[in-house]
Order: sequence, then C-alpha cells, then structure tokens
Amino acid sequence: MVTYVVRRLMTAALILLGASFLVYLLTAASGDPLEEFRVNNSPQKQALMDARTQLLQLDVPAPVRYFRWLGGAAQCLVPFANSCDLGKNIAGQPVTDALGHALIQTLTLVTGATILAILIGITLGIITALRQYSALDYGVTFMAFLFFSLPIFWVAVLLKEFGAIGFNNFLRDPDVPLPVALAIGLVLGVIVAVAAGGALRRRLTVGAVVFAFVSAVLIYFSATLWFKNPGLGPVVIAIAGVGIAFAVTLLSAGLKNRKALQSSLIAVAVGVVLYFVVQPLLDQATFLMIVLLAVAAVLVGLGIGYLMGGYDRGQSMRAAAITSFLVGGMILLDRFMQAWPSYFDNSRVRGRPIATIGAGTPNIEGDFWILGLDSFTHLILPTMALILISLASYTRFTRASMLEIMNMDYIRTARAKGVSERTVVMRHAFRNALIPIATIVAFDIGGLIGGAVITESVFSVRGMGFLFLDGISHTDPNPVMGVFVCVAITAMGFNLIADLAYSALDPRVRVKA
Amino acid sequence: MRFGRISKAVGVAAAAALALSACAGNSGGSTPSSSAAAGKTGGSATVVEVNAFNTFNPNTADGNTDINSKVSYATHSGFYYIDNKLNVVRNEKFGKMEKTSDNPLTVKYTINDGVKWSDGTPVTTADLLLQWAAFSGYYNDADADAKTGTSYFSYAGDPTGLALTDFPELSDDGKSMTIKYSKPFADWEIALGGPGIDIPAHVLAKKAGLADAKAFVSLLKGMPRGDSKAPKPANAQLKAMSDLWNTGFDTKTLPADPELFLSNGPYVVKTINQDQSLTMVKNKDYNWGPDAKLDEITVRYIGDSAAQVQALKNGEADIIAPQASADTVDQLKALQSQGVTVDQGNQLSYDHIDLNYSGPFADKNVREAFMKTVPRKDIVDKIVKKLDDKAKPLDSQLFVPDQAAYADSVKNNGSSAYQDVDIDGAKKLLNGATPEVRIMYNKDNPNRVDAFSLIRESAAKAGFKIVDGGLGKSDWGKALGKGGYDATIFGWINPGVGVSGVPQIFKTGNDSNFNKFSDKDADKLMDELIVTTDKSKQDGLIQQIDKKIWDSAYGLPLFQAVGVDAYSDRITGVKYMPNQTGVWWNFWEWAQK
Amino acid sequence: MSQPSQQDEIMAEDAALKGAPAAGIEPVLEAKGLSQGQIVRKRFLGHTGAIIGLVVFAIIFLMAFTSVGYLGIPGWWKYNHEQVSALVNDGAPTSSLWPLAWGEHPFGQDRIGRDLFAMTMRGAQQSITVMVVIGLIAGLLGVLVGAISGYFRGWAEAILMRLTDVIIIIPALLLAAVMAQMAGRRDSGSWFASFASSNGVLALGIFLGLISWVSLARLMRGEFLSLREREFVDAARISGASNARIIFKHILPNAVGVLIVNVTLTMSAAILTETALSFLGVGVKAPDTSLGLLISQNQQAFATRPWLFWFPGLFIVLICLSINFIGDGLRDAFDPRQKKFNAKKAREADAAAGTPAGSPAAAGASPAAEKSAVTAFDGTKDD
Repeated sequence: MVTYVVRRLMTAALILLGASFLVYLLTAASGDPLEEFRVNNSPQKQALMDARTQLLQLDVPAPVRYFRWLGGAAQCLVPFANSCDLGKNIAGQPVTDALGHALIQTLTLVTGATILAILIGITLGIITALRQYSALDYGVTFMAFLFFSLPIFWVAVLLKEFGAIGFNNFLRDPDVPLPVALAIGLVLGVIVAVAAGGALRRRLTVGAVVFAFVSAVLIYFSATLWFKNPGLGPVVIAIAGVGIAFAVTLLSAGLKNRKALQSSLIAVAVGVVLYFVVQPLLDQATFLMIVLLAVAAVLVGLGIGYLMGGYDRGQSMRAAAITSFLVGGMILLDRFMQAWPSYFDNSRVRGRPIATIGAGTPNIEGDFWILGLDSFTHLILPTMALILISLASYTRFTRASMLEIMNMDYIRTARAKGVSERTVVMRHAFRNALIPIATIVAFDIGGLIGGAVITESVFSVRGMGFLFLDGISHTDPNPVMGVFVCVAITAMGFNLIADLAYSALDPRVRVKA
Repeated sequence: MRFGRISKAVGVAAAAALALSACAGNSGGSTPSSSAAAGKTGGSATVVEVNAFNTFNPNTADGNTDINSKVSYATHSGFYYIDNKLNVVRNEKFGKMEKTSDNPLTVKYTINDGVKWSDGTPVTTADLLLQWAAFSGYYNDADADAKTGTSYFSYAGDPTGLALTDFPELSDDGKSMTIKYSKPFADWEIALGGPGIDIPAHVLAKKAGLADAKAFVSLLKGMPRGDSKAPKPANAQLKAMSDLWNTGFDTKTLPADPELFLSNGPYVVKTINQDQSLTMVKNKDYNWGPDAKLDEITVRYIGDSAAQVQALKNGEADIIAPQASADTVDQLKALQSQGVTVDQGNQLSYDHIDLNYSGPFADKNVREAFMKTVPRKDIVDKIVKKLDDKAKPLDSQLFVPDQAAYADSVKNNGSSAYQDVDIDGAKKLLNGATPEVRIMYNKDNPNRVDAFSLIRESAAKAGFKIVDGGLGKSDWGKALGKGGYDATIFGWINPGVGVSGVPQIFKTGNDSNFNKFSDKDADKLMDELIVTTDKSKQDGLIQQIDKKIWDSAYGLPLFQAVGVDAYSDRITGVKYMPNQTGVWWNFWEWAQK
Repeated sequence: MSQPSQQDEIMAEDAALKGAPAAGIEPVLEAKGLSQGQIVRKRFLGHTGAIIGLVVFAIIFLMAFTSVGYLGIPGWWKYNHEQVSALVNDGAPTSSLWPLAWGEHPFGQDRIGRDLFAMTMRGAQQSITVMVVIGLIAGLLGVLVGAISGYFRGWAEAILMRLTDVIIIIPALLLAAVMAQMAGRRDSGSWFASFASSNGVLALGIFLGLISWVSLARLMRGEFLSLREREFVDAARISGASNARIIFKHILPNAVGVLIVNVTLTMSAAILTETALSFLGVGVKAPDTSLGLLISQNQQAFATRPWLFWFPGLFIVLICLSINFIGDGLRDAFDPRQKKFNAKKAREADAAAGTPAGSPAAAGASPAAEKSAVTAFDGTKDD
C-alpha cells in the first residue's frame, strides 16, 4: 500500500514536470505579448515595448524562462520557508497572492454548487433507475440533456433576468394574484401526478393534493406578505419535523421499527422546545457556534436513539441523529428568515436582495445573519446555473450504475430471502451503486479548482478561471502556470484518492503494490 | 482588455489636439442641459469599471489602465483638468500656472497655501519636481541597444515636451517652480501638474532613506542630465526612489501603510475588496477645487457588457459605461422607462481603410477605383447608425467633426468624390482589369469584420477580386507595415494626435506610415507644421496636408467610434466625455437625488 | 473547462466497467438465434428517444449540407453565409407560422444583412464537421493506444499511459488558444498555418480530436485488459493467430459496444467544446462562422434582436440532444445489462407466482453478465 502510494506520487511528480514544461511553452507560443503596443502611434511605443519585453523576459528563449520559473516554483516545496515564488503577472502582482485570492473566490462559487449537484443528481439518478422508461425517467433524461446542452452564459443571462431582476421586482410588491397561485399549483400538481407513478387514481389523488396545498400556501403567503417577512415559526417546524421524522425513519430503518420512529419523533419534540431556548443565543451567532450547535444536534439525536434502544439500537440512533440534524437546519433557516427584513431594508441592499454580479455587496456591515444572507443572495444564481449544467452527468451515471446493480445476483438473492424492497434498494443496491460514483465525485472535486471560466466571467467573479483566461489573453505564462499547477496537483491527488477509495469500497479490487 | 489599456500618452495628446482646436460641443444623446443639477450633498453611488484596480501610481507603463487613472483622478488634484468639451480648465484654487515668456517658452507653477496631502503634509514644489523628473526622463541615460546606463522612472506617457526643459528653478518657500523650454512646445498646458499631482515626494524620499523632501530636491539638483552616450553608474538613492515609484504603489488590497495612498483631492480611498470593488470617501480637508457632492463612491468591476446592463437594471450599479454596441444601446434605451438616462457621443478613435502604395495599388487609378467602391454610407448605416442616428461617414483624414476646422477641410479636400458608391466610375478607371486585392483586418473585432464583408461585396461588383486576409487579434498588429496585404482596415485614436502625430502617420518613411504614403509637398508642409505654434496657422497647414492625402487616393476614413454611458434615476450630474477619462471627468458634480 | 464535460461520465464509466470487466460480451439470451448485431439493432430501434434523436439529426444534417452547399457544391438556398443583402423588415425573421410562410429571410438577418438561415446552416455544418472529425480521430487513436497498452502491457503500456496522463491534465483551452494563434499566422508560410487558415474548423476539430482520445484510450485499455485473459483469446492464440488478428478480429468486436457509446458521447461533448471555445474567442473566426461563434457574437442581442441568438442556440441544443439520445440508445442496445428492470412488476410477478419470495421472473431471463471476481485491479496502478 505505502509503496503503491509512493510510486504513484513519484510518477505524478514526473508527469507534472513534463506537462508543466509543455504548458509553459504552449502559453509562451500562444500569442503576442506586445500586441497592444503595435498599433500605437505614440513616440513612446518602443520604450513601452522594451519595458514589457524586460518585464516578461521576452529576450530569453521560452525553455530557459521555464527553468527560471521552475527554480522559483521549486522553493514552494520547502516547508515553512515561505519563499514560494511563482513569478509575477503582467500587472506586477505576485502570482501566489493572485492565486490565493482566486482560489477563495472559486471555491465559494463552486463548492455549494458541486455538493448540491451531486446530491440532487444521485437522488434523481436512483429514482429514474427505479422507474426505468417511465414518464419520469424520460422527463428527467430530457431535462438533464437539455440543460447539459445549453450554453451556460445563456442560462446565466436568463437567470439574471428572471431570477434576480424579475424576482426583485416581485419582492417590491410581493403579491401573488389568485389565478397565478392556482396556475402554479396546477402546474406542480400535474408534474407530480405524472412523476408519481402507480395507478391513475393514485396519481390523480397525489396531484390534487399537491395542487391544493401549493395554491393554498401561495395564497396565504401573498395575503400575509410572507415574502417580505418570511419565517417558519415553531408550528411549521413541528409539523415539518414530524414529516421529516417519518421520512427519515422510512428510509433509514423502515417504519416497522417503532423504536426508531419514536426516537425521531422525540428528537423533533426536543428540537421544537430548543427552538425557544436557542433564540437568544443565536442572536450572537458566529460561524463556529453554528458548527458546534450542529454537532450538538447530532449528539442529542444519537443520545435519544441510544436511550430508546430497541432491537436495533444503531438504527434508532441513526434515525434520530439525522432527524435532529435536519430539524436543527430548519431552526437555522428560520433564524435566517427572521433576519431577512433587516437585510432587505439595508441601505446597501436597497430592497433588491438577489444580486446579479460579484460575491458580496461592497461595504455591507452586519451580524452573522446579514452577512450570511448577503453571501446567499450573491451565490444563488451562479450556483443554480452550475447545478443545472452539471446535473446531467451525475443523474445519468447514477442511473446506469443503479440499473446495473439492480440486476445483480445478490439483489435477487436478497429479494428471494424476503427482504423488503426498501432494504433492497437502500441497503444492498444503493450502497454498491455509490462505489463507482465515488470515483466520478473525486474526479470532479479535482477539476473543480480550475474554476468555471464562463460562469465566472458572466457573474463577474474573478476566480481561477478568470486568472487563467486573462493570462492566456495577455500571453502571460506565470498566472497560467500557477492555475495549471494548482489544478493538476489537486486533480492528480484526488485521482489517487479515488483509486484508493475504490479499492477500499470494493473488496474485489485490490491495489497491486 | 484591448480597449482598457489605451496608452495615456495617446489619450492625453489626443485630448490636447482637440482642446487646442477650441472645438464646440460634441456630445449627442440626451444629456440634460447645463450643470444646475438639483442633487443634494451626501449619499453614495456605485460606478462600474471593466478592469480591476491594481496600483496607486497610474503613470507607469504597467499601471496606466483606465481604472487606475480614474481612481487617481478622483483622489488627487492639480493645476487643471480637461472638461468634456476637451478644454483645459485651470483650477486656480489649487494654484497658478502661467506662461511668463514666449521666447523661450517659460511656465511658472505656483501652489496655493493650504493645499495638503491627507497626512497633513503640504503639497510643495518637491512633489511637482518629482513629477517633472518622472515625466521628462531627464536623468535617464539608458541605451537600449548597447544595454548600458540606467532608466529610472518607467513613465508610460510622452516625454517629448518636458524633455525640452532644463532643471527647473525652484523658489525658496517651496511653493513655486519655473520651467523653461528650449523650443516652443504647443502642449505646454497639459505637460505637467495635472490633472493630479499623484505621488507624494516626502513619502518617496522617506521610504528611499532620505531625510525629507528637501533632501530629495537637493539630490536632484546635484545630478546632471542623463546622457545615453556617456552613461554613468546609477545613483543608488534615485534608483531606490524610482523603483518605489515604478512598483511600490502596486497593490490589489488596501495597504496597511496609509502613506502609500495619500490623497490631495476630493476623495480618499477607504476600502479595497480585491478584484471586486473599491470604495472612496470624501477627503475632509479638501477645499482647493470643485466641491464634491457624494459622500462615497464605490467602484465595482464588471467585464461583461451585458452583465453591466443587468447590474444597472437590478440597482447594483448606478453609473455604467459599457462598450457600445447597437444591442447594448437598445437594452439601455429600454431601461429609460425605469428612469435610466442614456448618453451617447463620439469617441476619439476612428476606423479607416488604407491602401498600400505598392502591388495592385501602385497605380493611382486602381486606388481611386477601389475607393469608389467602398460603401461608406452603408457601413455607417449598418455599423454605427443604430448607436447614433446622426452618424455620418468621416470625411477627413486629420480632423474629426467636433473640430471647427473639420467643415472647412471637408469642403476642399476632395472627399466629396467618394460620398456614394460609384461602380461604373470604378469600372471605367479599371478599364477591364480585375486586380486581386488582399485586405488585412482584425478578425476578432466585429466592426472590422463587418466592414470587410460590406467592402468585399461592393468591390467585387466592380471587378476586384477580394481575398480575405484577416488575422487574429494577436497577429494583425504585427503584420501592419510588413506587406503581405494590399489594403488594411484598422483604427487610429484621432487623426491629429497633436501636431507631432500627423508626421508620425503620414510623413515619408516614418514608423506608423504603414502603407508607405510619400508626398514631397506634404512632407514639407509637415515639417513646417511641427515648428508652428500659432493654432490658426496649424489648422491651415493641416487642411493643406489633408487635401494632399486625399488627392493621392490614400484610402478612406470610415467612421468615428461611438461611446455610451448610462446612469440610474438615483443619480444626477453625470455627463458624457469622449476621452478615456469617461464619465469620471466631473465626478464632483455627481449627486444623489 | 467550463462545463463538467461528458467525459466525466465516460471516465466514471471506465471505473465501473473495470469493476465488471466481463461486460458486453455474451449476448443475452432474451432473443434466441439472433446475432449480436441483430439484437443491437432490435434494441436500438425499440428505443424511442434514440429513434427520435436519429430522425432529428438526419434532418438537420441534410438541411445543413444541402441548403448552403458544401465544398463548393452550391446548395438550394438562395444566399450563402457571406453574402450581404439589403435589410428586409429591419433584420427580423420573415417566416411566420400563421399563415405558414417562409419569406425572404426565414431566420432574419444580422446587422449588415447576412442571411441568418444561411449562417446557421453553415454553422451547423461546421459543428457537425468538428463533431465527426473529433469522433473519428479520438476513436481511432483511442482504440489504437488502448489496444496496444491493454494487450501488450509492459513498457508500451507504461509509456502510452504516461502520455495520456500528461495530455489529460493540459487544459484544452490553452491548446485551442495556441491552435488559433497558429491558424492566424497565415504569413509564416508553414504548411500547417496555410492549411489552418483556410480550413479553420477542420484544424480545430483535428486539434481537439488529438487531445480528446485520452479518456477513450483508458477505457479501451480497461476492456482489453480484461478481455485478453478470456478463454477465447487463449484459444485463438493457441491456434496460431497473430497479435493483430487477435486484437482486431477477436477482442475489438467484443469491445465495440463500449467504443461506439463513448464515441457518441465524446462527439456530443465536442459540439459544446467548440461552442465554448468560440465563445472565448479561440475557436472559429469570422467571417466564417459556427454555431458557437454565432451565439457568442450575438449574446448581447439577446434582449433586442432575439432571433440572432435563439436560432443558432436552438440548433446547438437540437444537435446535442439528438446525439445524446442516440448515444443513450446505443448504450442501452449494446449493454445487455441495461435491460428493463421494474421493481413493481417483479413484485407483481412474485405475487402471481404465489410464492412470497419467488424469483423476479420479470427482471429477465438470466443474469446479465457473469461476474468473475477480479483479483487484481490493475487499473488503479495507473490512473
């Protein structure tokens, strides 16, 4: 195992050297760094060109420049020496600084989107696999391919027009007219009825319930100006909590496990009580406190499950822990909603909360909640755009993997011994289907650092993609190399992790040392 | 970035050219008349810029992007600024700049009492002397070919004017400075001391290890003019200071040391959010110039034009100046119902097609025939009419319509022969020949591509065989003047770039004379032009040169570029400006409603 | 770069297939007496999405290549993509649904009066050309490299796989920028520059093809690794078949399913790559045009002259969707494991059989593929 990893790392280092040499030469050959001065009729033309030549050392052949760059870059390997030198970009900024900043920008932009895309994609993939060739399957397949085929700047422009500008206009006077509420309810009802599956009668019932519920909620929201003063309140949390408790138990332990159900319900009850207790505490929230509270919520859940016991204590603990975590999430959401009106009326926001550009409102001041909402309103659109286009591969892949697993012998065996369908899907099939998905996820995380060039440019986020593109357009190798090295190292690192994880997850696969 | 990094030198000189021609108003669009804006004092505005801020010294070769110059403009003041009619406006509250003698040309600068940096240090002639030393290149003795000597300040602008001066005379109180030019220099008004005195000499001196600004002055006084033929070892102290001047002010975040961003203007930088935004607040001490109304100006960086428009629509930005295209303008006009005001006007650059005096175009008849086929009206209609419905083809190689002399020059220069496409006339001139013409242009500029397509369509009718010689954006510039094409479509930033710009492009054998135009009479006229300081005489000479150029069937100017800016109904006082200072030229008049 | 490409899918599938190396070899017995080709055809024709995709693609293909002509052969449409004509109706589309009319410029015109229908068709030609070129080159190289390294192993494998590793981490955007740069240097006189400047899109396709074979090569290598250990290969070897014969006659036909499926997916990703590159200014250059260039040139017209944006966009989406569906259909057809599985029907069948734990008869006749446990996962060594 260790020899394997060491050998892999050494090969990776050699590959990195070779590839970085190529990338350097390619970048140097990709354009004319003096272009902007060529059609300049000022008498200073030659001096400007000389200055740029000196700055980029254009009089030195590119391979020699590469080794100079490598000399600086090699210092990054010396631990704690703090002498990392990746050169400077054309504007004179050290590339290490620029990279650090760009990395943060990119990670804030893509992390949430990637996680959500993975979760939604896998869920959709499993559902479509279980309902292969149903209307739902075809619908999801079509939408996934459609979004995959759409150019992202197009999606971005549409999202800005309707998701930001349109929604902000709506928020100014958040009134949903009755016909609109009914229409939205109807559309959702029809979609759910088509997707639900089962007998026609069941579909119609489900569709009708959804229609009635959605329309009623929209009318209520409109009447109470909920969009201006959103909030959940303990009642909604309690009702939704009970729903969550049932759903979590159903998926994790099965409703037949009464102890697990009871644990989850108790967790909900405790959550509702704690709702009132933590409110004053939340007023001085910090990020660390929220993390600690989340951990506490999980621990409380585990404790409840442990005390309830039952024939399978582990199941109870798991169900209660997941439930209490989700209820905790709802309390958090409620608190954010409470902060919404003050964010909405903030003098910097001026009543138009959803933003089209950037990563935050300039000069905004406020507590944890205001700043959190500010990040949320800026990230929501790019996140949605990224999710839409990256959903396809996860959905399709999970579907294929799941379909394959569902036809395996051991699944048949499980059925044969009378295991319930829930257990077959959740225990036997789903977990095994996740094995190959772990590889693709690791792969994506590696590529994620590279940023999303077009998304970044449309949403005016200057992250890794922008740095890279800007470097190429100025024929400036240093930032290009900086981005490349970051991306390549993470990609290869995660590639290794993926392989190790694969062999850990799949006992048939062994790492040959 | 092609549009972002316009050389300051070219821009200022262009402004000078227009300023000197004492032109009348130029802004089209719907600018509300005169200043009396009803804005109150206080409030804030968000302005959008394309590039991200990266240095507090906008004068260096690497720092002179628009955004740096604009931030510097808002945080510094000087003896003059340039208004949107391209006049030089003196700021007498800051100090006095007067011509004390014509022969030799002598200019005296006097800084008023009370003008000070935001750390409390008064602004003195030491600061002005620093600017003179940097802009004139007085101490440089570098020889690029021999690789000897030292080049101290890496100044991006044009040193020709100040290079004519000798070490200035300084008064003992540190308030006035006099410079003498060895030859008459027409652009003396904008050579020094504005629009901002931006780098504090006392900070530079201190950081370079000198005692104070006085030590700096005496250091400079003691050094002789640099001579590239007899280079001397570099002066360590001056080198330290110039290095600091060159790169010490580069930053993407707010420096911890406030001395690196001292202000002596209406605003002072408060926060910088790297690559996202920059915020300036009012400089409390400032009372030596136009009074600023807004309390706070935030600059945000958005590269994409469509994103700029949407940001304005969504209220995230108050003032934008996107790259003008018909679609951007239409979108902005659609926002007028929402209270957005849109201003349009001409810019200082123009597109033209030049014919090489070689190959198929060596024959004047062929040049003339080709020029007759260029559908200039059609090009203007399709490319710029949607942006500016008053747009017309440009009819002079040396003037733009905003200049008073334009009309006179157009009447006589012979451009009237090429108003409309004359296929029959062209055929007659060609006399049955079908010359093959390769046209070179920048394939990445849609305006040039479209102009090429229209010209090809029309020229083919007269029998020309047009070859598409377009090149990518990083190659077409290199190919200029190298041959390999017969005609080229590209842009100059104003034909009459000062008086020195005219021979740059049109004199026999000069650097920027890419198509090898050569006319003895024109050369003589240009020689005369350079030493003429009388403005009206200059105009007369330029008119004659213009005619010579047209007479020799040089090529055709096509159209002037159009600029646009827009601002939301929260803001008043924004006005269109043709040069690259853009809407910032009167930032002090911006106010919140 | 910008869009998580379909390559991820291929890549991950690579991993999946390595876990189940016996995939796609033995035809399922659901249709006795049919050859593999017949089974595939039957299954493919039964895939509604794929058939619709095929029809749509065929229509687009025919329209694109006959309307404005190709390689100097004139087409039936009256304009070509470079021709400028007077603006009709201020450039707005003249076609209408009611009354159904085609008009002078059915898709409208751009600002200088070029016909958008002609430009869109030309763009579709270019996109399809890029797609086919990339598919061919990537398929050829991928099979060759994958087969050699998977079959011969040893140093050939080591070198080739290192090469793919190097290529896989070099950003496509950079390569495209260099390509565009070389294509722009018409005057340098090299044969490549003159070829690239006159056949921009072909050069782009070749270039992209030269870098997009790597994932396919890895996949094919995985297939070869497992297939070469199979009995029929041993049998062929013993009977004296040459290596080339074993590779092309015995192993390759068994891997053709994976190959075809992944080539189609690479092709659909290629269209989007071309779009993205043209958007970033390093793809096809005006006045020639491609779908990607059209929408990037006209993205600002989105609100004001939407037709300039919608029609090329529609064609990108249509081509991409149809190729994806064809690929999906091919995947289902070639992969015997991907058979219709229905949990509910399985349960119903169980109930009908009367046995509470009956075998899921509806799920198919026999296990899809034999699952031999893999003892050594060689793949991990390299990837």
